[in-house]
Amino acid sequence: MPVTAVAAGESLNRSIVIGREDPGDCLLHVVMAADSHLDLSVIVLPGASSRVNLRVDMEGPGAEAYISGIYLCPGAEEVSIRTDVNHKVPHCVSRQLFKGIAGGTAKTDFYGKIVVAQDAQKTEAYQENHNLLISDSARMDTRPQLEIYADDVKCSHGATVGRLNEDEQFYMRSRGIPESEAMTLQMLSFISPVIGHIPDIQTRENVSRIAEQAIRSFREV
Amino acid sequence: MSESNILLKIEGLHARVEDKEILKGVDLTIRKGEIHAVMGPNGAGKSTLSAVLAGKPNFTVTEGAVTFMGKDLLKMTPEERSWAGIFLSFQYPVEIPGVTITSFMKTAVNARRQSEGKESLKAGEFLKLMKEKMAFVQMKPEFSKREVNVGFSGGEKKRNEIFQMAMLDPVLSILDETDSGLDVDALRIVANGVNALHTPEKSAIIITHYQRLLEYIVPDVVHVLKNGRIVRTAGKELVAEIEEKGYDSIN
Repeated sequence: MPVTAVAAGESLNRSIVIGREDPGDCLLHVVMAADSHLDLSVIVLPGASSRVNLRVDMEGPGAEAYISGIYLCPGAEEVSIRTDVNHKVPHCVSRQLFKGIAGGTAKTDFYGKIVVAQDAQKTEAYQENHNLLISDSARMDTRPQLEIYADDVKCSHGATVGRLNEDEQFYMRSRGIPESEAMTLQMLSFISPVIGHIPDIQTRENVSRIAEQAIRSFREV
Repeated sequence: MSESNILLKIEGLHARVEDKEILKGVDLTIRKGEIHAVMGPNGAGKSTLSAVLAGKPNFTVTEGAVTFMGKDLLKMTPEERSWAGIFLSFQYPVEIPGVTITSFMKTAVNARRQSEGKESLKAGEFLKLMKEKMAFVQMKPEFSKREVNVGFSGGEKKRNEIFQMAMLDPVLSILDETDSGLDVDALRIVANGVNALHTPEKSAIIITHYQRLLEYIVPDVVHVLKNGRIVRTAGKELVAEIEEKGYDSIN
């Protein structure tokens, strides 16, 4: 796996878009020095079956990482996301937010591991993975894994798999919003926290536009 | 009155939720310009009636017919009913996190225009309309940027319903327990809104347990719904009788 180093006090912002044209694996290993910042997002678009493997090692105190992702799978995609966040030293913060939508016969799997070493006191490590199932034939798995060896830390994880809320749908339809458009609004609002966080405005707008197109493709399924 | 004045005609309506029959033969005719109150004790079927008229899934009509402006209402989807001019003010307005009032209303207004073969409103025209209708229910400008009903107080939720009603300009408004959870000031804003939107071409069904709202919105016809049937229909004097004697004496 290629290693990317973020030097002390430096920042790295990166958004990776995996589309139909260049599916496949996305492997990334980031090593963070003291007081460095990382903002990493991965967007998996419809038609792309891929394996995403992100490893972040926090090797200097004061490092902060925000790792996020969206996977949109309306068809027969198979997407696997794996994250490994290793808190090796004290006073580092990591936040993960991954959101997926699956329709058709798509299969998705999220495996997120956080390891907090014994010396890594005052660690803050958070992980969220939320999934939206659009069809009965799709399958979504989520497996959060926390290994904490230090005793003075703040760590949490949340994992859900759910469906579109029917009360919201009826409310919107009763105002004249067609069912398919109501679903689109619901899916857009589901992923908006991930997109809203992308630091670079240009990237955020691009991703937002691409994601909206992708979400509209769920309609035909 | 001639048949052409009839806006809504409900005949022998039976409906159930899951396996439970709630409406057991409701007949109701509403003409243009009329305000009808449907009153009744809890569990009488008042909210089921409004849900069936708006087309809520999971409510199954087992018998009877509903005609709205000459069309078979029961064959229409909820969005088609909205486009035809039906509006339901929800007893419990739904929170939609992540969707702003502006984007919600823009989608709704333009979907309706599309159904009429009209072009979408220009951004400026839409904002002007929003501003006008927000002022109508005394909503502050930042209201448009808030997520639909998220973190709203009870009064704000109901004012938001009347705001949406003003935006969509319905022919038949159904207000389901709009007075519940409202303080006097909010009640007055809501009632003034409903009254101001009322014209000789438009009708309303006010569903309520109490007479409170009917002091502000005066009905032409009052029905008492009990155990899935309308057991009494009279003029507005019936409200006072209910207040005095309760629902037990009306059968």
